[in-house]
Formats: sequence, structure tokens, C-alpha cells
Amino acid sequence: MQGFCSPREHMSRRLLLKGLTFAGVGAAAGPVMNWGNLVDAPAFAAQAKKKSKQCILLWMNGGASQFETFDMKVGRPTGGPNREIKTNLPGYHVCELLPKMAQQMDKVTVIRSMHTSEIDHPGGIHLMHTGYSKSATVRFPEIGAIVAKYNGSEDANLPQFIKISSNGDSGSGFLGPRYAPFSMGHDGNLPTFAARSIDVKVDDRRQELRDFLEENYAKRHAAETSRQHREANAAALRLQQARDVFKVDDEWKKNKELYGDSLFGKQCMLARRLIESGVPFVEVGQSGYDTHADNFTGHKGLLPPMDHAWAGLLTDLQQRGLLDNTLVIWMGEIGRTPSINNRDGRDHYVKAWTTVLAGAGVKRGLIYGETDADGIDVKSNPVTEGDYFATIYSALGINYADENYAGVRPIPLAPFKSKVVKEILA
Amino acid sequence: MAATFDKSTLAWSLTFEGDGVWPTAVALLDEGKKVAAADRTGAIYLWDISGDPPVTDGKAASKDRDAAATGADRSPYRRLDGHTNAVTRLLALPDGRTLVSAGLDRTIRLWDTQATATGSDHAILDVERRKREAKKSGKKDAPIAPGIKVETLGPAATLEEHREWINALAMSRDGKRIISGDDAANVIVWDVAAKKPIAKWTGRTGGWITSAALDAEGKLAFVGEFCSSRGDFDRPPPDLRLFDVAAAAAGGSVPEGTTASAPVKFDILALETPQVKRRDNSYEYFSAWSKFVARGIVAADFSPQGDLLALAQGGETGTGKIHLIDTTTGKLSKTIGGHQYGATDVVFSSDGEHIISSGRDTTVRIVAVKDGKEAAALGKPRGGQFKDWTTAIALSRDQRTLAAADMAGLVQVWKFG
Repeated sequence: MQGFCSPREHMSRRLLLKGLTFAGVGAAAGPVMNWGNLVDAPAFAAQAKKKSKQCILLWMNGGASQFETFDMKVGRPTGGPNREIKTNLPGYHVCELLPKMAQQMDKVTVIRSMHTSEIDHPGGIHLMHTGYSKSATVRFPEIGAIVAKYNGSEDANLPQFIKISSNGDSGSGFLGPRYAPFSMGHDGNLPTFAARSIDVKVDDRRQELRDFLEENYAKRHAAETSRQHREANAAALRLQQARDVFKVDDEWKKNKELYGDSLFGKQCMLARRLIESGVPFVEVGQSGYDTHADNFTGHKGLLPPMDHAWAGLLTDLQQRGLLDNTLVIWMGEIGRTPSINNRDGRDHYVKAWTTVLAGAGVKRGLIYGETDADGIDVKSNPVTEGDYFATIYSALGINYADENYAGVRPIPLAPFKSKVVKEILA
Repeated sequence: MAATFDKSTLAWSLTFEGDGVWPTAVALLDEGKKVAAADRTGAIYLWDISGDPPVTDGKAASKDRDAAATGADRSPYRRLDGHTNAVTRLLALPDGRTLVSAGLDRTIRLWDTQATATGSDHAILDVERRKREAKKSGKKDAPIAPGIKVETLGPAATLEEHREWINALAMSRDGKRIISGDDAANVIVWDVAAKKPIAKWTGRTGGWITSAALDAEGKLAFVGEFCSSRGDFDRPPPDLRLFDVAAAAAGGSVPEGTTASAPVKFDILALETPQVKRRDNSYEYFSAWSKFVARGIVAADFSPQGDLLALAQGGETGTGKIHLIDTTTGKLSKTIGGHQYGATDVVFSSDGEHIISSGRDTTVRIVAVKDGKEAAALGKPRGGQFKDWTTAIALSRDQRTLAAADMAGLVQVWKFG
């Protein structure tokens, strides 16, 4: 890896050590975190637009209720107290807590017939990030790592798989640290280790000394971990060149109304900035949907800021010409039960629940699948996790049957026998 | 003469089971001779419980209820139709015949319970029993007929100023004023006779009014605001404030298109958290207020003398306690009692000597204000790992009758003394 700035901007020892944590697991060949040589970000963005599709995952951690969002059963025993409102799709109604998204339904595909296999959070989070159930012998990569590998670029100064306040603990799995997620905190700021903590001149001198020692060490030790160590350092240094992307305060003042004055709104705007800067996969999380108790007040707190931010994000992406190239996924790990328990809550449910897709590769204004009158079973067009991931990968222009190797074992991107839901694809 | 609480008898266990719904509000009319209860669909039923309960009139209580639920059962005689979504609060005015209700359909309705019925209908209020019997006999569906025959009646008046769910409704002791609050933080103090607002104001942006109370003459108002989390690290702060309604209402009704806002007399939460300088959604403030507010103050009541204000900690929390606030200073006087998993309702006894509260532990607790000692605990926790809530309580003015509605579909009525 060549082509550092002169004078070089160097990271601190703390940054170096922190950077190494990205590379702490796995043993894949290639550069760590697929950050390539420094290039001009806008030029990269233009190139990325032409080459490959990007993705934003809005992760509803805990499992948002389909009954309080896109598959309402008003007036039924399972219905709950929320009421429907009209959308800009004739005949289709959504929850009154989603007034902004109600006017964006012509941009999305709603899948009301999710039928998945993991009912608890750890299993569900893994399943809906990877397409696979957890395995003792295989560490499956998350969708973000897959998209980073297939649609990312090594000629980038930004991480290719970024998580903002989100979940999922599988990371890059057997793909190795090259595609590991770069995780940011809830405030959307870069981690503290990504900034120089000492005077620049002092840091530069230290870096030169480190380089001298590193080069000599590398001549004598050709170990993989040593190489990953150096590349993690180089990648973190390159991140310094892209720091401005993460400075959102000025733009936030202008866009607060579009995205809504919430933390999730600010995170969604940052996601758009990252997409615009060429990052192929950004995940933004909102937590709190595990409403075993007080489901209705819980959703009443969570949904309005999410609705505003999501609608703002779609509008912003469209206005900037990015929506056609960016798939926006809205989902959590599970749905919620039709029955309302004695905590005024809804428990976990995976027999019939809802996800939403918008943008790249998918149809607009499509309501796919249907549940029965009480939302207990899927009535038509069930979509399994395998089918779902096969469809998403296809929408992103990735061959879902492509295989990567976990050791000597070939693993397809979507589970074997998965089928693309062609009706959803544009 | 007021009854004492140390001797109680469970007189009635009225079945009020819907399909996926449960009673959410309760009130006693005519010195406890009639009970009104409402549910999540918006239906309000009236039962005549005058006289001694007939011992042989009771149907077998549902087997999943506690053995103590053996009060007599009786069918309601009337249904009040109008609300289209859950009723959250029911009040009985001192005239013994007028009910006031508020609900998630964003309306407040007044009902003349003694007016001539306008129709009749069949109702099924024992859904769970029917389901059990159908299961026993191998039938797929529970029979939906025959039901019980009830008279039906519409509201005498509907107040439609609110635009969001109304979860807070309370009245002055004389019944001349009521206060209501909604999930858009709008608060209205009403003149009941005129059915017009005499003061209205809006709380914190994004706040929900979860509790409200008026003192004996409706001159001082308490309003509690709370909003669920908008996500991790995004928690709107609550507010607990006392308002001087007398100052706002000096000019009578609010002229059309204007707002008479009541000035704040005490900011209870600011007094309770003086160490916090910035009252925003910082975690520093969250850790301070969450101890006092838990997951929202969901019920409040002024003592008859007006010197104390009881605040009930609700939402699902460890123990929902009852705070007593000194209304002359706005400061906490003492914290008493509590309900496992959270309180749901609170009222003062008519003599002001006891606090009666209900909670998510299926119990009603009666605690002496003076020393905080529990005078009685009615009902037993039931419902499994998490207990069926007692959703609301009502005490007759002579303190001889107490009604409690619960999530398992019972309206229980106790007699004291």
C-alpha cells in the first residue's frame, strides 16, 4: 500500500492499537478493512455510482410490530388501539404513527409475509444480518460485509461497511477483517481513537520512528498478523483524510426539518452523506422495539421520529439522484405476536411479519404478501430469510449463489435452495 | 359516617371479558349503588349493584382467577355507546347520574346514565368462559349467541377539542370543573356546566400528558408529562408541574380562538432535581429524573383538604411508588406504599386519611397517610410471571364501596365497615 500524504499524517499509538482491534479476528488475505489508496471522495462517489449499488439498512432493534406499522388489523382482537391512515397508494393504509412514510409508499415495496426461523433476539439478529442461523463451526458474514466485498472498492479512504449505533455481532465472519464493520457510536461522531490525541509534530516524529521499526520488523517477520497490523495502521491514517464526511453539524441545521429533530434523524442524514461519499453499506440502528410490556406507548415513542427520519432519507436520496442506486432496507430481527399479553405488550413472532425495501433494484409501490384476518399466518407469498437475502442481493446486483470459503467449505451468499422473489425486483 | 378500611368484604365479581380486550376504567355512581366500567373497544357498561349481592347469583369464576374472586356476578343492564377506541378514564359527577369519559378516540363524553334508553342490543361479556367451554366440547369456535340483552344509550355531550389520545382526566371535588390532557401535550380545564374550556395550555414539545388532577375547587391543577423513549440516548424529559388555574380562569370561559394559559406555581421535578442544571434529554438528567418519575406518573389525586398531592409511578417498573407532594411548597413530603411492576391509579379517601392505589400486581392497597402503614390489601397477585393489572379503581364518597377493574376481565366491588 503506497501513496501517503507528505508530510504524512500519522496516528497515535492508541489509534494504532485500536485500529488493530478491527484485525483481531480472522485470517483472510488482503488488506485490512479494504480501505485503498487515497483518492478524491467525490470522484470516487461518481465512479461508485456507475459501478455498483449501495445499501442503507435501517435496523429496528428488538423487532418492530407489524401491527403498529404496515400490517394493521384494526377492529380485530389482535388489532390494538392504533388506527389506520391513508397512504399515497390507493387502498393501502398504514398506522397513524407513520404519517410521513404514508406519503412515501409509492417508493417502497412492503413485504407483509415474512416467515422466518429464529424467534429470539440473538438468533434473529444473526439470521437477519447474515441469512443464516448461527453455527458452531461457521462464522457467517453480515450483509454489510458481503456488500463491502462485492460492491465496495479498495480505492477508498472510507470504511466500506459502517454501522451507526446498530447491532449484529457477526461482522465480516469468515470473510475476515478486510470487510469488518466500522462501528460508530450513537452520536454519529468518529470514535475517539480516530483522532490524534497528541501534538501533530510529536505524532509525526513518533510515526516516523514507528515506520522505521516496522520496516525492519517486516523484513524479518512475514507473518499475516504483522501485515494486518501495518494495514490497519494505514487504513486508520486514510480515515483521517475523510474525517469531514462525519462532521454533520452544519448540514444538520439545514436538514433538521427534513429528517426530524431526533437522534435517529441525524444518524440517517449521516448515512446519506456516507452513501454520497461512496460507502457501499451503512447500517443505522434504532433500539427499543422489544416491547413485551407497554407495546403501544413504546411504539408511540419510537415510530414518529423513525417515520420522519426514514421519509426524509428517501426524499433526500431521491432529490440527490441516489435512490435508484441505493437500496434502503427497513427491518428488525423479528415481528411481534398477534396476541396482546398481560403487560399490554406483544412478544416475539416470526410466523408472519413485515419488512420494507426501497430504492435500488426493487419495485415501487408494491405490497407483497398477505396475512390472515388476525395476522396469525401468512395467507399468500411467504418469504423466508433465504428468499429475502437472495432477493436483496439480486437487487444489489450481487449473485446470491456465489460462494465464499469458510476454510475448505463453500458457503453461498444466500442459503442453499433460496429463491429470488422476482415479483419484488424492478 | 365514613367507613373504616380494616374490614372488607368482596361483594361482587362482575365478569367483563372481551375478545382481546379488558376493562380499562371504572366509576361508582349513586353512592356505590351502580358501577360503570369501560373497555379497550370504547364500550361502557352499567351494573346495578344496589342491595346485598345474591349469594346464589354468582357464576363460577374463571379457573385462572384466584379463589378469592368469589363475589357475586351479575349482568350489566345498560351499555353506553359512543367511544370508538379505548376508554382511559371514567369519572362520576357528584350528582350521582352523570358520567364523564375520555378515550383514545380523542373525545371526552358526558353521559346521563338515567336518561331513557334509546335502543337495545346483545352483548357477550364472558368470552373466556365460552372459549373454555367450546374447547371442552371439542368445538372450534366459541358460540357468539345468545348474549345478554342490554339497553343502549348515546352520550349527552361530546367534547372534541383534543386531537390526540386522552390519557388524563380528573375533576374537582365539587364536579364543576374537569381537566383533560392528551398525547400532544395539550391540557384543557373545562367548565362542566357550560361544556367549555376555561383554560388551556400546551406542555413540552413531544410530551404526553399522562396524569392530571384538580384540587377541591378546581383552582390548582397538577399535570404530569412523560414520553416513551425515542431510541437509545434519545429520551425526552418529563415534567411534573402545579398550575394556578384560578389565575387563568379569572375571566371565565376562554373566548373562541384564544388560549388562557395557567401560570406554573411549582415545578415539582425542578425542585426534586436541583443538582441538574440543564433539563434536556441528557443522560445526567435522565438518571436524576428516572428515580422520581420511573416510567411516568400515570395517576394523581389531591387530598380533599388540598394540602397534599398523591402521584403514582407507573409504566413497567420495579416498584411503582406513591409520592405525596406538599402543595404549599411543591416539595416531596413522603413516599409511601408501592406496587410491584408499577402503579396504575391512585385516589385519596374522602376524609383524606388514606391513600388507595392499584397496580400491575393485581392488588389494591390502602395506606394511612399519617404513618404510611398499610391498612388493607385487596386482591392477590395473579396472572403468571407478570401479574394481571388492576387497571383502575373508584371509591364511593361515603367510603363504603370500592370498585376495581382488572385485566383478567373482572370488576370487583368491595364493601367496607
